[in-house]
Amino acid sequence: MNAMSLMDPLAVRTAHPPISERSQLMSLREEALDTARMRILLLVALFVFIAFLGLMRIVYLGSSDRAYAATTLEEALLPARGEITDRNGVPLARMFPAYSLWFNPDAMGDGGAPLVNSPAYVAAGLKAIFPDMDQAKIEARLASGKAGYLRRRVLPEEANRVQELGELALEMPQEPDRHYPQGSMAAHVLGHVAADGHGRVGMEQVLDERLRDPALRGTPVALSIDMRVQGALEDELERGMKLNDAMGAAGIVLDVDTGEVLALASLPEFNPNKIDQEGASNMFNRVTNQVYELGSTFKPLTVAAAIDAGVVKDFGRRWDAKTVHIGKSRLRDSHSYGETLNVAQTLIHSSNTVTARIADELGAERLRRTMMDLGMHERPYIELPARGHPIWPGEDWPRIRNMTVSYGHGIAVTPLHLASAYAAMVNGGTWRPATLHKLAPGEAPRGRRVFKESTSSRMRQLLRMISIYGTGRNADAPGYRVGGKTGSAEKPGQGGYRRTSLISTFAAAFPMDRPRYVVVTMLDEPRGTVASSYQRTAAWNAAPIVGRLVPRIGPMLGVRPDERRDVDISDLKPLIPGADK
Amino acid sequence: MSIVPAPIARQPWQMLIPLFVLASFGAAVLFSAAGGNMQPFAQSHLIRFGIFLVMAVIITFFTRDAMKLLAYPIYLIILLLLVAVEAIGFVGGGSQRWLNLGFMTLQPSELMKPAIVLTLARFYDTLPVGMVGTWRALVPAGAIIALPMALVLLQPDLGTSLALAFGGVVVMFLAGLPMRWFVTSGIAGLAAIPVLYTFALQPYQQRRVTTFLDPESDPLGSGYHITQSKIAIGSGGLTGKGFNQGSQSHLNYLPEPQTDFVFATMAEEWGFIGGLLVIGIFALILRWGWKVASNSEDRFARLLAAGMVATIFFYVAINLMMVMGLAPVVGIPLPFMSHGGSSMLTNMICIGILMQVYHWNRRTHRRGLD
Repeated sequence: MNAMSLMDPLAVRTAHPPISERSQLMSLREEALDTARMRILLLVALFVFIAFLGLMRIVYLGSSDRAYAATTLEEALLPARGEITDRNGVPLARMFPAYSLWFNPDAMGDGGAPLVNSPAYVAAGLKAIFPDMDQAKIEARLASGKAGYLRRRVLPEEANRVQELGELALEMPQEPDRHYPQGSMAAHVLGHVAADGHGRVGMEQVLDERLRDPALRGTPVALSIDMRVQGALEDELERGMKLNDAMGAAGIVLDVDTGEVLALASLPEFNPNKIDQEGASNMFNRVTNQVYELGSTFKPLTVAAAIDAGVVKDFGRRWDAKTVHIGKSRLRDSHSYGETLNVAQTLIHSSNTVTARIADELGAERLRRTMMDLGMHERPYIELPARGHPIWPGEDWPRIRNMTVSYGHGIAVTPLHLASAYAAMVNGGTWRPATLHKLAPGEAPRGRRVFKESTSSRMRQLLRMISIYGTGRNADAPGYRVGGKTGSAEKPGQGGYRRTSLISTFAAAFPMDRPRYVVVTMLDEPRGTVASSYQRTAAWNAAPIVGRLVPRIGPMLGVRPDERRDVDISDLKPLIPGADK
Repeated sequence: MSIVPAPIARQPWQMLIPLFVLASFGAAVLFSAAGGNMQPFAQSHLIRFGIFLVMAVIITFFTRDAMKLLAYPIYLIILLLLVAVEAIGFVGGGSQRWLNLGFMTLQPSELMKPAIVLTLARFYDTLPVGMVGTWRALVPAGAIIALPMALVLLQPDLGTSLALAFGGVVVMFLAGLPMRWFVTSGIAGLAAIPVLYTFALQPYQQRRVTTFLDPESDPLGSGYHITQSKIAIGSGGLTGKGFNQGSQSHLNYLPEPQTDFVFATMAEEWGFIGGLLVIGIFALILRWGWKVASNSEDRFARLLAAGMVATIFFYVAINLMMVMGLAPVVGIPLPFMSHGGSSMLTNMICIGILMQVYHWNRRTHRRGLD
């Protein structure tokens, strides 16, 4: 500033030069020129400064400000969240443009009353459109003049009727909503999307990042689920649950060679489209999260371990079937089928005593090893976030614990554990983790060998025989070569087992001559009804579900009914009295 | 050099080539803004550029004396045109800013920008050097600026009236008026802002100012322009989304992608590199203009040239700051890139007069050498 004022023409203003003093005038001109040059420099400096400011601003907008995240043209056209489909491309979850009802008290913009009519009148109008609305509550909300949601989801025709109320303050912003076109079907697999835009419970939670990633959300994610199989499973489970007056049911269909889950259901279900109190309480997944003592379904696993270890070589050998006494404990059978039984009879009649004696001869360590190889000591292998930890007896099993585990007591696992173990038992002996992702051919994990090929082959014969001659007869769908084992375990309650509340399970595979799928069904606390001939055990409620389900899903999965084909059981058949009749 | 004919060789190519590049780049951006079509923006942009370039060349033929002679009559004619626009608007029952010339609509207020500079340059040229510190240096010049400003404010067009004032004040500043006048009036102006804001601005203009200060307060309402523009510029990143790939302009998020916000349209598709290119070319053109101004020997030519540079600069600076959210939204287009005849006309007149002064300088220097 000081430098400038020196140059200021004002400083020489008082010197009025006489015309003769040309030199003085010249110096005045020189000074004026200097001033002008200096001022040009000043302006140039200002220009440069502004240009610099502009450049910095572009850098700032382009790099640092995260509020202005990059949006490409393609991204703008993508749904806000990716689609989930079943293995055949049937949509299970997709985005849906919906409206919500928002109260904006400032909409009128004049600082006066937010509504044209009285809050009572508007509330009555809304009540007429949405009959489930609480009129008094809405009236209080409107009168309070506080902005907020009045309703989360509004259908287009309802939106039109709200529009007709003529209230500017009732705004209906369009908000993309998650829609599950199949309703509650596969709800436990899918989960839901909460108000914060993140997935909960099922694959929505597992795939949350993948589904929101702009680079990936254009392509739908295919699950391993087959919608048709899922529908049949849920239908049959619900039927079975109602007929037997059970409090819950669970089921799973598993590909034995790849570990892909074709269907997974836990009843009662919830509706992911509308999460309410009741729905939230049903989100618990019985297949992957709840552990049960699964009872006699464990017997084939014990027998397989014994065959594999060479403990059972001679199938004609007869085992003592009398009550087992270990210290103060006694292990008994519910019915007596004679003093001695061979291995085939043991499974057919589901004998606790013989199974316990086989396990005793096998030894605790070898049974424990097999159970661990089958993954029974850790959470089940599947993508879902909620996976129950088994109640595992730990190391150094006492003799009695070895015996009870052999028939499925004193160990509690999820139905999914059981399904994976059965898959390993019938597929040639290889255990694989279960998955809800669709696997392309050749993508199946290599898995780990638990049983020998020959053991697996024996187990196919034995399981098939159970459903021909034993407790699994109700599951024997003609032509589908079903083989499986029942299990009915008393639920533990206060002070020991409760004889009245059962978990009845049927674990099966089909077709037994070349097993493709494992099916596990489970009923929680079934009661004896007319439908089950007043029986509560698995043979009368869980097995018939499989018997009805397999003929429905077999053709969908490429398994044709064929009465002339079956696994060859001719070498074991003579061991069953009356089998040739 | 000898191959090139002398009349072509003596043109200021150091400015003209960047100018051609800029206008062509502008056409490319307008091509994209029209969704990949020459119509309706890019083609007329290029045609207008061509016509006005011819006009600029014609301007260069005017001598110094002719310009001095014409300064006041031109000012008066344009002032009358401004009055005429007001009158037509009044008769037509609404505000009007333009006259329809058939091939384009003409805003006299745009023509007034170079005219005010010319008139003031002429005024200070005749004013004896010793009198620049007296009231006689201020009052007539003030009137020359205030009359058209008042007429333009009536339209109402805040942006243009500010541009008029800026051009005029720059000429006054360079003419050597006492520094403390500018400092005092600057301080007075700052003090008057709250008063002006409350009483002089229309509610919609007030909203533009508050929105400028906090655009996120109403991102879908009055803050929409700035927010969308910033998204466009920010999403361009270093190299942009590529030619014809801008979603902000193509999906109509960006308001006025072809006029006021053409820089945002460009920056989204060409990124920081494109922004650097545009600002760099403007720097080249303006630097050339300053050289022309400082090379001129006489007061009239220097003030004239500097005023023209300031006018172009005002357009560029305000437009860039506006689209980047550094200045309120005042409808001022980006020279040589925005689609619009009037701003192209004004800026090409400025270029023409700068070339004119450039030729005067060459002649003077040659004479000096002879």
